[in-house]
Amino acid sequence: MKLQFTIGLLALMTLAADAFARPISYPGGWMMMQMNDSNMHSLEIDYSPTANYSVGYVAEYWRENDWQLHAVSLNNLIKRWNLPKSQANIYLKSAAGVAYSDFGELDGKIEPAAFTGISADWEDRQFFTMYENHLVYAGDINKSFMQKARVGIAPYIGDYGDLHTWLMLQVEHNPKKADHFTVTPLVRLFKGETLVEAGVSEDGDVLFNFTMIF
Amino acid sequence: MKTLATILTVTVMFISTPIFAAEECKDTVNVKVSGLVCDFCARALEKVIGGREEVSGIKVDLDNGDVRINLKPGKTLDDETVKKLVTDSGYNVTAINKGC
Repeated sequence: MKLQFTIGLLALMTLAADAFARPISYPGGWMMMQMNDSNMHSLEIDYSPTANYSVGYVAEYWRENDWQLHAVSLNNLIKRWNLPKSQANIYLKSAAGVAYSDFGELDGKIEPAAFTGISADWEDRQFFTMYENHLVYAGDINKSFMQKARVGIAPYIGDYGDLHTWLMLQVEHNPKKADHFTVTPLVRLFKGETLVEAGVSEDGDVLFNFTMIF
Repeated sequence: MKTLATILTVTVMFISTPIFAAEECKDTVNVKVSGLVCDFCARALEKVIGGREEVSGIKVDLDNGDVRINLKPGKTLDDETVKKLVTDSGYNVTAINKGC
């Protein structure tokens, strides 16, 4: 069962993407986000009935303690400010499901699991800033709280339909890691319905994100 | 005679150009939108509005926050519908103008 579970998860995860993509697509649209950072790989697929919320499936694999989470996700746009030259948002990202461990004494253990977190961002045509936290409860398998923040700048302003580029700096705080803070410079590229992010942390961990809306 | 023909031709062209332009413009709705700063996010407008049967295409101007909706010949979209489509896409409408 353990092998099938792992193969199923790995089959869903090819590349990975950071959680900073907005989790809600256009009304009636789908979004797929692949995630990879120094802590975990994840894959999320969401459907947005409206521009205010999305539902879907999320799978996370946490490397350090070799455990997985499979859950139903619910993302809500709590508040949006549409300003003449900028936009700001607050999202609530949550999920509930099961966790499975392959680690030590917990090998083979299955626990109910959930996570929640707030994501807030502000951007205009040239500057970007975001904060996000992630609170996880998975019984004996894992309990954790992490935070991330980003700032970004567009080296050029593209027109609608162009390839857009952002240079970003991400700082993550994870109290469970020996070095609580991880800094990752990255580049975000997007064109049309596709967004890609790539970077390398100060510890040499690769960050590669892929998001599509369709 | 040749000069007269030239003058008549130029006069007809001068008069007819605004008429043709007016014909093109009557199938256009210009919307001023706030919060329109991100191309990736603005795809929602193309999906929601561009998918309407009345619409032949849209043009988004991120610099000025303008969305131009091109309608198919003989089709219309009232202001309330336009406002709802933009709001449903996650943005706010500040002005709607018909024509060029």
